[in-house]
Amino acid sequence: MNLTELLDQTAARWPQKPALIEESTVLTYGELAREVGEWVSRLQTLPIDVGARVGLAFPNGIAYVALTFALWRSKVVVVPVPTECPEEEIAEIAATMQLAGILTPKPRGECVVVAPDCHFTKLNPATPPDNHGLNLAFIRFTSGTTSARKGVALSHETIRDRVRSANQAFGITADDTVIWCLPMAHHFLITIVLYVEVGATMVLARHVTAKPLLEAVNRWKGTVLYAAPFHFSMWARDNSGAQIPSVRLAVSTTCALPQNVAEDFFKRFNLPLVQGLGVIELGLVALNTTAPREKWNSVGRVAGEFELRLVNPDADGAGELAVRGPGVCDAYVAPWVSRTEIMRDGWFFTGDIGRLDAEGFLYLLTRKTTVINLAGRKVFPEEIETVLNRHPAVSESRVYGKLHPHLGETVEAEVVLSSAEAKLDTIHAFCREHLASYKIPTRFTVVAALPRTPVTGKILRAAPVA
Amino acid sequence: MIEASEIETKLLDFLKREVFAPEVVVTPETDLLASGFDSMSLVRVLLFLEQSYGFWIPEGEITGDALQNVRSLATTAARVLNAR
Repeated sequence: MNLTELLDQTAARWPQKPALIEESTVLTYGELAREVGEWVSRLQTLPIDVGARVGLAFPNGIAYVALTFALWRSKVVVVPVPTECPEEEIAEIAATMQLAGILTPKPRGECVVVAPDCHFTKLNPATPPDNHGLNLAFIRFTSGTTSARKGVALSHETIRDRVRSANQAFGITADDTVIWCLPMAHHFLITIVLYVEVGATMVLARHVTAKPLLEAVNRWKGTVLYAAPFHFSMWARDNSGAQIPSVRLAVSTTCALPQNVAEDFFKRFNLPLVQGLGVIELGLVALNTTAPREKWNSVGRVAGEFELRLVNPDADGAGELAVRGPGVCDAYVAPWVSRTEIMRDGWFFTGDIGRLDAEGFLYLLTRKTTVINLAGRKVFPEEIETVLNRHPAVSESRVYGKLHPHLGETVEAEVVLSSAEAKLDTIHAFCREHLASYKIPTRFTVVAALPRTPVTGKILRAAPVA
Repeated sequence: MIEASEIETKLLDFLKREVFAPEVVVTPETDLLASGFDSMSLVRVLLFLEQSYGFWIPEGEITGDALQNVRSLATTAARVLNAR
């Protein structure tokens, strides 16, 4: 199957129904399907083979959605490239994902003009990619060290399965209008694809501040809000008095919801914020639609057809969360690890430590992984340490998350300098050259030595510090 | 009393250095949203101001008017910081 069939079915059923609204532009499903067709014709002129992987470095917009479906129709694997990535990160994504090329709105070196606002830079992977016979649609690049598994691969069938499972929890229908605020490069599959399948309308809200957002909700009669705690916190403090009575579901995603945000938002709009647990390898595992007020800090009961269990629980019942169900990723890409090898005895170990209450509501406590969550963006300490350690004045470094009341965590670094004259300014500037700006540590501390584990002598990973 | 002009100078430097691409020209009158300033940029700016002045400016204080340009953002920040 191909995911574009979902769009075709919706376009055939509701050709006049608005699919995407951006500013004052309203694009119907019929028009979206035609636009996808036009992109397919333009893409045919490019040197892209079936099964090739192409980087999509576009900002949120109608073109992002249309290009994704057009690439899928062309049997090309989409690899989102966040627009905030500096050249060096793009080069790393291109090399490890073996991209055949990259699509950007602006020209980028030697490139082919696909459309006035779309350019294709051809790349020449050292070896052609091997998709191991899978009908791949999508690879999410995940950075990390050289030893980490890079890239989560999903086939068309897998995405369809996880979208359908997720909607058993979301319950989104053609009557819904979703107000969209998150970067599509980081969120697309169990959201945008789901909305397309059910024929919902998506309003692409470009402005994040309260007033224009609330105006957009009321102008388009939004029924679903999908955003990060940071957004909800901003809107909760709006003092215009405007209400949003059309909204029936407000989903807070990307990082843990602080209690004050949940309460402030409820007080302001009389609407509970719903938390869930989304995992890139799995899809939507849980969603708290049934008790968002009473159990505001729970990610809810297990969603759709997923099953979960807590492994090696302690005396309080807290254990590592293992999950199985539909839509588990097909493979890790570099190095290639198949689904069967990823699963342990048929279960996926998420690295999260969780607890279940008597009614089956899941609470996330801590996690075993070291990923830092900065207002919803995942930051891998190892990636930043690799850059820091390349600076001539740094002999070693340790990057960790610092708990922040409004953002989840912020990125901080400890560095051991190789020369007393080294200036932190130059290290900071070096980071700017090599990392997306949100990954640059907000604080550097010079230390004489880093703590190490007694047995292996490895640098001790720090838990988030308060 | 923190002067808005002081924050403006710091913000201009920070935005040029850490938020916008090198080719973007940033002046006090630069339209932030039109230049690609998004919610992640705002997170970075609020973190920067928190580090510089030891106070987290509540997100709710940042309205569309505040985000008109660098000058209005600096004026808003000065107002909140001086009122704390």
